[in-house]
Amino acid sequence: MPRREPSEEEVERRKIVGINAETITDVSSTDYPGVYPGEDHSWDLDKIRRTLQIEFHHNEPLLASFSLIGADASIANAFRRIMIADVPTLAIETVYIDNNTSVIQDEVLAHRLGLIPFRGGREGLDKFMKWYKKPDNGGGGDDDANTGYFDYNTVALRLSVECTHNEAAAPGETDPTKLYHHAHVYAKDIVFEPIGRQDQYFSGEDAIAPVHPDILIAKLRPGQEIHCTMHMHKGVGSDHAKFSPVATASYRLMPTIDILRPIIGADAEKFAKCFPPGVIGLEKVTRKEAARQGSGYEGHEGELKAVVRDPMRDTVSRECLRHDEFKDKVKLGRRRDHFIYQVESTGQWDSDAIFLEAVAHLKEKARRLEKQLLEMGC
Amino acid sequence: MSREQYQIPTGTQQSFTTGGGSGGREYGVESRAGIMHYICGDCAVRVPLEKDAPIRCQKCGARVLYKERTKRMVQFEAR
Repeated sequence: MPRREPSEEEVERRKIVGINAETITDVSSTDYPGVYPGEDHSWDLDKIRRTLQIEFHHNEPLLASFSLIGADASIANAFRRIMIADVPTLAIETVYIDNNTSVIQDEVLAHRLGLIPFRGGREGLDKFMKWYKKPDNGGGGDDDANTGYFDYNTVALRLSVECTHNEAAAPGETDPTKLYHHAHVYAKDIVFEPIGRQDQYFSGEDAIAPVHPDILIAKLRPGQEIHCTMHMHKGVGSDHAKFSPVATASYRLMPTIDILRPIIGADAEKFAKCFPPGVIGLEKVTRKEAARQGSGYEGHEGELKAVVRDPMRDTVSRECLRHDEFKDKVKLGRRRDHFIYQVESTGQWDSDAIFLEAVAHLKEKARRLEKQLLEMGC
Repeated sequence: MSREQYQIPTGTQQSFTTGGGSGGREYGVESRAGIMHYICGDCAVRVPLEKDAPIRCQKCGARVLYKERTKRMVQFEAR
């Protein structure tokens, strides 16, 4: 069979997932060998090098949004899953409660403490802190219960609050926060206690501290107190969600909107209202367009026409497909190889660094797989 | 003897070895043999009760008494 190359137009067409009023078409990709006779779709590193693109839309410490263009869904999904479940963070793992006379139960308090996100010096978190391995002593005697804790795998924290009456409060005061000292226990009340070499890595700006100091942990009344120490360990999101470095990490496919036939005048304004603001723009029909025969703009010079401004903002609500006046005038779709990621960090990592770490993780996984395959010795 | 085992609070016995140094308050030192302390459900006062004594707060007369929280450190997994 003669080798042939598909036209650029055809390649573009194959990338689009069709979105109709009630159905979705062409969901799976077809750019692999054996789909189109005579075409070569074998895996090619050079081709990926040429076509793969990453574009950042915005990049703040707690929120990054970027496009990964030209990758397969399996790769894009792998990155997403690694970001959620495989990038390690430090979180409270054990709580030693000396006294807790508040109304919140010990278990619930411990659980709440575990979910608080902490930040600290990047170098210390990445390089200095290692995994904590639970000592394996089957059931465990008392002597071994506290072994295995070192400065490089455990961070100790302390929470000590007692609620007392505020003598200086104005008579008739009803606000508990003014009436009492420490009526509310916040994340900022947790104190970091460095051990060993930890003060080299976690001091000053780099100290281990809650990302959000105003997280409410418990409410107290006079006479109630909470005294506990906490141990933090490194962990991954697949073990417990508290270790996940992201609040959300998701992607969506780039929407496409094709206006097939002109939408003019009042219809254009209605069309723009079918989409989120900024997706559809309104422009005046120029004299040139109105003069061209068969363009659909004849005699409409100066009227407003609908143009696609920014399809990325579209939520693909398909509202425009519900109206008869837009029938056969618009085609909605999504680009199968254009992934718009949204990564929201919990604060321990910078949001863009989470993605880079995910890439490094996938690379490491591939390397490990390669080693295993070579060791199979076939 | 295991730390977790129940110990009858008597004056003759040594005070509890508190794990993790929970303030080092010693139980049973201030009280005579067989005296337990409870918390009054009404006025929240600490009520010492002897064996076979009527369950009643000496201060306000309430009949609902609560057990005191353990003086030992308690360990939890933050999960």
